[in-house]
Amino acid sequence: MTISTESMDGDITRVILDGRLDIQGAAAIDLRMNVLAGSCKFLLLDLASVSFLGSMGLRSIVLPAQAIKRRGGKMVLFSPVPMVEEVLKASNIGEIIPIFHDLHAAVAALR
Amino acid sequence: MDTPPSLLEMDSQLSELIRVQEWIDALVNFYGLGEETRFAIQLCMEEALANVVLHGYLSEPGHPIVIRSWASDSALYFAVEDKAPPFAPSAPDSSNGGSPANLESITPGGNGIRLLHRFVGSLVYERLSHGNRLTMGFPVARDKNASV
Repeated sequence: MTISTESMDGDITRVILDGRLDIQGAAAIDLRMNVLAGSCKFLLLDLASVSFLGSMGLRSIVLPAQAIKRRGGKMVLFSPVPMVEEVLKASNIGEIIPIFHDLHAAVAALR
Repeated sequence: MDTPPSLLEMDSQLSELIRVQEWIDALVNFYGLGEETRFAIQLCMEEALANVVLHGYLSEPGHPIVIRSWASDSALYFAVEDKAPPFAPSAPDSSNGGSPANLESITPGGNGIRLLHRFVGSLVYERLSHGNRLTMGFPVARDKNASV
């Protein structure tokens, strides 16, 4: 699992994850995600290249989202593959952290 | 293609899950199963085994976990046996629709059992005299003309 970031207009940080967000993958990104949650206000989490998501991976998404919200910010999820999106919806997290497949809509939701 | 082993023994450490993942991949490839079935098996096995390691054995290494696999005409099965205290992964309470009211009410890490029930085909828990057995079945959706 790899994690990279890029800055977008509107003080938005795009966080790009690539790989399996299983127990090992979650451990690999947790520290970086926590740092981002403490420094970014608007975070677009790009899941397009995440091929697997388990409950420990969900934790790596929910904890930073909660931290960002406490600071008055917002996180959205972008472009999960169908099975990953099914995990998000089955855990009801998709109802709380919005999911978008259109980049413009995702950015608009953060502004 | 060599027949993958039908049994895997692992130690009670999360780092062992990579071996389980590789074993599942070999079984899925051998039986020519679809990617959705592969995803469901990987997910349910990770949740079930993490539950045994983290809650059954309290993250203490040195305890055995034995996984057996077999196939029928319509499903691929996995039985996970451990020697931990009793723990039945009951279906989560859905009386409130299962929906968190807001972001703050989501319990991080509290979704494993919910996901297990959502993605498994069949689930049977047995309390053994010396531990637990959890048998998971996954309907086969084959990609190729492989026979199960």
